[in-house]
Amino acid sequence: MSGRGLGYYILIRALMIIPTVLILYTLVFVLLRLLPGDPILAVVGTKHISAEQLEHLRKLAGLDKPPYVQYFEYLWNVLHGDFGVTLAMPMGKPVKDYIFLKFPATLELTIASFIVSVFLGLLTGTIAAVKRGTWIDSAMRLYSIIAYTLFIPWFGLILQYIFGLKLKVLPTSGRIDPGMYIEWITGLYVLDSILTGNLQAFISAISHLILPSITLGIVLSGAYTRLVRNNLVDVLSMDFIRSYYARGLSKYKIIWYGLKNAFIPIVTLMGLQFAILLGGAILTETTFNWPGIGTFIVDRIDYRDYNSIQGAIIFFAFFVSVISLIVDVIYALLDPRVKY
Amino acid sequence: MRMRGLSKVAVAVIVVLIVVGVAAVFLFRQQFGGQVSQIVIGVTDKVTDLDPANAYDFFTWEILSNVMEGLVKYKPGTLEIVPGLAESWEVKDDGKVWVFKLRDNLKFADGTPLTAKDVKRSIERVMNINGDPAWLVTSFVEKVEAPDDRTVVFYLKQPTSFFLALVATPPYFPVHPDYSPTSIDSDQTAGGAGPYKIVKFVRDEEIVLEANPNYYGDPPKTKRIVVKFFRDASSLRLALENGEIDIAWRTLRPTDIEYFKGKEGFKVVEVPGSFIRYICLNVRVSPTNNKLVRQALAAALDRKEIIDVVLRGAGEPLYSLVPNGMWSHIDAFKKYGDANLDLAKQLLSQAGFSEDNKLKIELWYTPTHYGDTEADIAQLLKSQWEKTGLIEVEIKSAEWGTYVDYIRNGRLSVYLLGWYPDYLDPDDYLTPFLHSEANSWSGTGYANETVDKLLEEAQRLTNQEDRAKLYEQVQEILAEDVPYIPIFQGRLYIVARSNVEGIVPSPTMLFYYATLYKS
Repeated sequence: MSGRGLGYYILIRALMIIPTVLILYTLVFVLLRLLPGDPILAVVGTKHISAEQLEHLRKLAGLDKPPYVQYFEYLWNVLHGDFGVTLAMPMGKPVKDYIFLKFPATLELTIASFIVSVFLGLLTGTIAAVKRGTWIDSAMRLYSIIAYTLFIPWFGLILQYIFGLKLKVLPTSGRIDPGMYIEWITGLYVLDSILTGNLQAFISAISHLILPSITLGIVLSGAYTRLVRNNLVDVLSMDFIRSYYARGLSKYKIIWYGLKNAFIPIVTLMGLQFAILLGGAILTETTFNWPGIGTFIVDRIDYRDYNSIQGAIIFFAFFVSVISLIVDVIYALLDPRVKY
Repeated sequence: MRMRGLSKVAVAVIVVLIVVGVAAVFLFRQQFGGQVSQIVIGVTDKVTDLDPANAYDFFTWEILSNVMEGLVKYKPGTLEIVPGLAESWEVKDDGKVWVFKLRDNLKFADGTPLTAKDVKRSIERVMNINGDPAWLVTSFVEKVEAPDDRTVVFYLKQPTSFFLALVATPPYFPVHPDYSPTSIDSDQTAGGAGPYKIVKFVRDEEIVLEANPNYYGDPPKTKRIVVKFFRDASSLRLALENGEIDIAWRTLRPTDIEYFKGKEGFKVVEVPGSFIRYICLNVRVSPTNNKLVRQALAAALDRKEIIDVVLRGAGEPLYSLVPNGMWSHIDAFKKYGDANLDLAKQLLSQAGFSEDNKLKIELWYTPTHYGDTEADIAQLLKSQWEKTGLIEVEIKSAEWGTYVDYIRNGRLSVYLLGWYPDYLDPDDYLTPFLHSEANSWSGTGYANETVDKLLEEAQRLTNQEDRAKLYEQVQEILAEDVPYIPIFQGRLYIVARSNVEGIVPSPTMLFYYATLYKS
């Protein structure tokens, strides 16, 4: 290990965020312009609008410039914290405002799903490892495969049908009861309702969060089940574990020590999963009418609103990169073998 | 063994906690659920722009019409124009000057007095900002004056017979002084002087309206209306079934409507629509530059089949561009009949087509803009036309932005479009389509001097009967020249839980919330 230390490692990892985001931006920029359809005409449609007015709108949106100019201009603006303005419905609003409005919804859903997935993954994985070779092990492994391959809109619909339509215990859409007042502090409704001591809003926010986060959480837990099981099986067969048995330690204490040792690769997966989680959030959001960044991007694709899509995705990518950086740093702290 | 017992206890505790938690959530929801008296309306539409200087879509106009009011308005459920903020008006100078007298003591929702100066300010604001719907003002109004607090005078560019219908549209609504005087104010919630005021607006989530205490008229029957936005028809349907919303408005799918029609606990109210669907025929490109070809296509069309098969009854056959039931409407296209294959064949052979030399056309449609039934309409049209044995149809489609681009450039020959009116007058169903200076958007290239003159004449006349005669003539010429073939007039549905009363369907297709209440 060199003497440069952890600070240097963090710096390098942070610098890596730049090419990651840049590559993604370039891809999105090119793909959007390859799609057929024009953002201005998609909004204007067939209504009475003269050619001059069309040209004016195009100019306002900056679409009269050559693509490479658009590419660098947008990039330059993003570096200055300006994500451009919307090209549709309504035109000319800062994209940043939308990101701030929608992102908390996505973050809330993501955090809740993350908790569900880690909890379920650890539980099923540990059970499978401990009962290795039995039918319970097989059942847990089967769960892992099924969970991993579940199609979110389909699975979400089933849950909506059972808990919404049939049992009528949980709402199927939105973040909170229609018309309910909640003070906006962080934009995370569960947290805001706790901070303001609003019990009614808290119950409403939690009950709206249950179905979407369980849907996404179950789908994502599949990967944890496998990883936890395999790692724990390895660790449990190691010498130090056998010595614990020999010393007469209780079974649960041993599993706990085993889990602690099996945890390092799981932390890595958490970082990776967080990225997938955000992707899965798009499908979950559209299924549950959850007004987050995912729904926003899908809406904007319909209008070919280049700026909104680019802006939201760059923000997304940046956020995910920062999270995985944090996870990597935690990993490095946990495991002295990591070279930096 | 001791551990085993402990783990059982732990599992039991967790199970109990989960059960208690779920039960608590459920009970609390039940308890809080019925507290607020409000009606929740779900829609798949969006509020695009809360500024009447820039809003130009039906649903946003609906919200604006509930939180603002014009000098005149439509009587709910009818196309009759009645006094709104103005109690009376008179026409001077042969229809070039319109004088409106405001009601006494008008106020905006927050109590700020509303005077003629506010009307003048609001309309001049629309003219200056020059947003999407500004032409509804700028094409007609020269200037507007407010000689005193209760008098508004419009000086028009030319006599305009349908000026009242224009004044009933949102660009003419007076807005609160808080609206930015020089720029579009898309998220402004100060509103105007309508029956409701906006108390909360979270874009793409919900808009909450509450009764305006300063409204001059009867207070709304339900104090609070929440409009909740949905992404698609399936989540809208689910929310209605699950009791999360009281009313599902625009737009459920035809299959959903059918489902609710037979379901206990729900009611389905039909709304006569003023939107029309039609086929455009480009008179400048081959083969539709041949009038016989256009007439043959009109004769072979079977409107009823399209309505029954694709729309499941949610439409009415239309034989003119002026909708059924609107004054001056005549069934001009009836002369071709429906599925009149004999006539179609005769016209086609006259045009020189035969079984060996078939008429080849490309039929264009756009897949999502008019709902997911569009491809089916195109398929059905193909089969109807090909039944003549003399036509070969190739179906093509383009996504909306591209589609509009092709149309504007006159590149398509046969294509499907639809029309939502700007104001409810025959003029808005004829001039934009047939006047050679107003129809470039349609890409049909149609120009006819006689028609131009008739339309201009009708715009000037103030007597409805005289105007109707001219519009009838125009419709006759339309059916002879066939630059458009009308197919059907749409119908909309409001699906509500059966305890919701006071739903008044309006031919304007705008839903006024003030009459709604729960029994």
